[in-house]
Amino acid sequence: MIPKWLSEKDNYIPKEEKNLYIEKSIFSFIKTISIIRQNKSQDKLLYLINPNLKVISTILNIALISISRSFAYLLIMDIYVFGNLMLMQKKSRKRIFIRSLIFPIISLIALIPSMFYGNVYNSLLLFQKIIITIIMMNLLAHNTKWSEISKSLKLFQIPDIFIWIMDITIKYIVLLGEYSIDLLYALRLRSVGKTSSKYDSITGIIGNLFIKSYKMSEEMSQAMECRGFTGEYTTKVNFNLKKIDYGYIIVNLLLIVTFIYLKYQGIF
Amino acid sequence: MHIPDNYLSPSTCAAFGAVMLPVWKRASTKIKKEITRQKMPLLGVAAAFSFLTMMFNIPLPGGTTGHAIGAGLIAILLGPYSAVFAVTIALVIQALFFGDGGVLSIGVNCFNMAFIMPYTAYYLFKAVKKIFPSKIGEYFGVFLSGYISVNIAALFAAIEFGLQPLLFKDALGLPLYSPYGLAVSIPAMMIPHLLVVGVLEGLITLGAYSYIKKSSPEIIYKGKSNKMKPLYIIIGILILFTPLGLLASGTAWGEWSAEEFKEFIGFVPKGMQDGFQFNSLMPDYNLGNLKEYIGYILSAIFGVTIILIIFKILSKINLRKDTKGE
Amino acid sequence: MINLENISFTYKNKLALDNVNVHINEGEAIAIIGPNGSGKSTFLKLLNAIIFPSEGKYTFNELEINEKHLKDNKNLKLFHKRLGFVFQNSDTQLFCSTVFEEIAFGLIQMELPIEEVNERVNDCLMLLNIEKLKEEHPYNLSGGEKKRVAIASVLAMNPDVITLDEPMNGIDPKGKSFLKDLLAVLNKSGKTIICATHDFEYIDGIFKRAIVFSEEHKIIRDNTYENIIKDKEFLRQYNII
Repeated sequence: MIPKWLSEKDNYIPKEEKNLYIEKSIFSFIKTISIIRQNKSQDKLLYLINPNLKVISTILNIALISISRSFAYLLIMDIYVFGNLMLMQKKSRKRIFIRSLIFPIISLIALIPSMFYGNVYNSLLLFQKIIITIIMMNLLAHNTKWSEISKSLKLFQIPDIFIWIMDITIKYIVLLGEYSIDLLYALRLRSVGKTSSKYDSITGIIGNLFIKSYKMSEEMSQAMECRGFTGEYTTKVNFNLKKIDYGYIIVNLLLIVTFIYLKYQGIF
Repeated sequence: MHIPDNYLSPSTCAAFGAVMLPVWKRASTKIKKEITRQKMPLLGVAAAFSFLTMMFNIPLPGGTTGHAIGAGLIAILLGPYSAVFAVTIALVIQALFFGDGGVLSIGVNCFNMAFIMPYTAYYLFKAVKKIFPSKIGEYFGVFLSGYISVNIAALFAAIEFGLQPLLFKDALGLPLYSPYGLAVSIPAMMIPHLLVVGVLEGLITLGAYSYIKKSSPEIIYKGKSNKMKPLYIIIGILILFTPLGLLASGTAWGEWSAEEFKEFIGFVPKGMQDGFQFNSLMPDYNLGNLKEYIGYILSAIFGVTIILIIFKILSKINLRKDTKGE
Repeated sequence: MINLENISFTYKNKLALDNVNVHINEGEAIAIIGPNGSGKSTFLKLLNAIIFPSEGKYTFNELEINEKHLKDNKNLKLFHKRLGFVFQNSDTQLFCSTVFEEIAFGLIQMELPIEEVNERVNDCLMLLNIEKLKEEHPYNLSGGEKKRVAIASVLAMNPDVITLDEPMNGIDPKGKSFLKDLLAVLNKSGKTIICATHDFEYIDGIFKRAIVFSEEHKIIRDNTYENIIKDKEFLRQYNII
C-alpha cells in the first residue's frame, strides 16, 4: 500500500533561501495582537482617570502642540509627558520609550538638508513636537482600555454605528490576526527550500483571509440577530467624575492657560 | 504613506477633514441602502481585513520587504462605499491605538487612502473591464487599478506635503511645517511608488482577487453599472481641488508676487536674490537665472537621495511603521 | 409547541434538509444526532429562524415563522427571546467588549430597566461560575470560558427553548460534567432543551428523546434516547459511532 519512496530516506539538500518576509509578518502580527491584549486594569493613578477625559485632553493637547511656536510651551509639555511616563507600568514605559524615539530620530535625519539651508529653528521645533505627540498617543493607547477610547469618540459627535464597528474591528483584528498567524506558520513549515511562488503564497493567504472574514461576519450577524439585534446600537457616555478626575482637569486647564499666555506674549 | 502629525499645518488637516465629511456621509447613506442589517458586521470585518493587509510584509527583490494598502482590493471586492468606511476605520485604529499616522492628519490620510484610492481603483477597474471584456482584460484591470490608485494616492500625499512650505511660512519666510516643497516631495514620493510600491500593490490586489474569484466568486461586489456621466467627472474634479482651494484662500491664490515666490519652493538658501521663479505650477512665470536653477535641481536630488537612503535603512531595521515620504 | 411540516432546505443547489417532519412539546430534552454533514446544524439554524426553508411550514407556539413574520422587529425580538441558540463557534457568538456587556446585550435589546439587567447579569455570572471574568474581553478567554459566557448570554434572556450546537466541543472533562448538570437542572425547571451532539460519553441522563439524521439529510429515526443508544448496530450502520 505504501509507495516505495515513503519507506526510503531521501537525499535532500536545500538551496540557500531566505524567507524573511514570513518571519517578519508573523512577528508584526504577534506584536500587534499582544498590544491589543495587554491588561490595562492597573491600580496606578493614570489608569484610573476617566477615559473620556484622557481622550479629550490628549487630542486637545496635540492640537495645541501643533499650533504652538513656543519652545517654552513645548518644554513644559515635555515635563508633563515625562511625568506621565513615570507614572506608567514599567513594561509599558520601556515600550513607549522605544517606539517614541525611533520615528522622531529618523524625521530629524530627514530634516537635516532643510536645516543645512538655514531652517534650523522650525526643524527643531518640528522634531520636538513629533516626540511629544507620539509619546502622548502611545500613553493613551497603553493606559486606557481601547473599548473605552472608542466609546469616548461619541463626545466628538461620531455616530454610534461607527463606534460599534470600531469595537468589532478590534475584536476581528485579534481573531483574524491569529488566523493569519496560523496560515503564516503553515506557510513557513512548507517553505522548505526555494519558494519561487512567494507572491502566490502571500496573496493566497490574503485571499483566504478575506473569505474567512466574510464568513465570520455572516456568523456574527446571525448571532446578533439571535439576541434580538434589530439594527440600533446605543452607547452611553460615562461621566462620573472622581476626585482624581478633577485633579486631572485642573492640570490640563493649567496647560491650556500656559499655552495661551505664551502665545500672546511672544516669548521665545 | 501615512502622514504623521505636525508635518501638515492644522488648517490643512482641517480643510481635508471638512472635505471628508460629505464623503463619509454619502458612504454611510449608500451603505445603509445597500447593506442590510445582516451585513453590517461585514464592515467591521472589512476594516479589520484592511488593517491586517497593511501589516503583511511582502517580499521585495533585494531581500527587503514592503507593505500594501489594500484599499483598491476592498473597493473591487466590496464596492467603493464599503471601502471608504473600512479603510477609514482601519486608519483611525492605526492612528488612535498604534500611533501610526497622526491624529490631526486623519482627515488627510483618509482623503488619500480611504477616498481617492478606492474610488480610483474601482472606477478604473470597471472602465478597463468594459473596454477589454476578456478574462485577461479583467486581470489586467485589477492590476492596473491597484498600481494606479496607490500612485495617485501617493501623488496627493506628495502635493499635500509639498504645498506646506509654499503656503505656511513664518515671519522670516521659513517653512513652518514640512519644509520640502513640491520639487522634492513629488519625486521623493512618486519614484518609489511608481517603481516599487505600485507594482507591489498591483500584484497583491491581483493575486488576492484571483484567489477569491476562484474559490468564492459570489462574494464579489456587483454594483449597479451606471454610466460614467460627464457630470460626475466634473464634480469629481471639483471635489479634488476643493481642499487646495480652501487652503489657498488665505493666500490669495494666483496673486503671489515674485517676492513671495523667490524664497521658498523647496528649501532654498536664504541669501537668494530675485530672479528665480518656480515654473511648474504657474506657466506664466519665466525661467530665471540658470545657475540658481541648477542649484535648485541639485538640492532636490540631494534631498531625494537622503530620503531614499533612509528608506533603505528603514527596511533593514525590523520596523512595522511605514514612513514613506518624509 | 414546535412543529415542522415537510421542511426542506436547499443551498447553492445542494439539498441540506430533506422533507423533515418533527413535533416537539414544551419541556422535552432532545438530542439531535447524526454523522458530519447530515444537517444537524442546518436544522438548528432553521429552528432559530436564521435561515428559512425552501419548502414546508415552521410553526412555533401556533405562529407561522417565516421571513415576512420576522420583518416586524417586535415579532423578531419576541421570537428570539423565546428561543435561545448557543452556536458551535463561540468566537463569533461573542461580539461585545466585556463579558458583562455580552451578557447584558440581549437584555438591553429587550429594553429592561437597568436594575433588572444588572441583577440578571450577576445571577448568570454566578450560575456559570464566571464572576471573576466580568470585566474581561471575550477574546482573551479560554475555549471553555467562552462557551460559558455564550451560554450565560443566552440564559440571561430567559428563553423557553434552548438550542445548542455541539456544546461539548473543545471543553475539558470538568467543563463537560458542569454543562451536563446545568442542562439537567434547566430541563427540570421547565426549559425545553434541543442539543446537537455526537459526544455520548457525558450526556447520560439528560435526554429522553433522540432524533437521528442520516447522511442523506433525512430523519431516519425519532425515538426515546435509551432505545437508540442501545441499538449499536443501527448507530454503526449510519456512521454515528
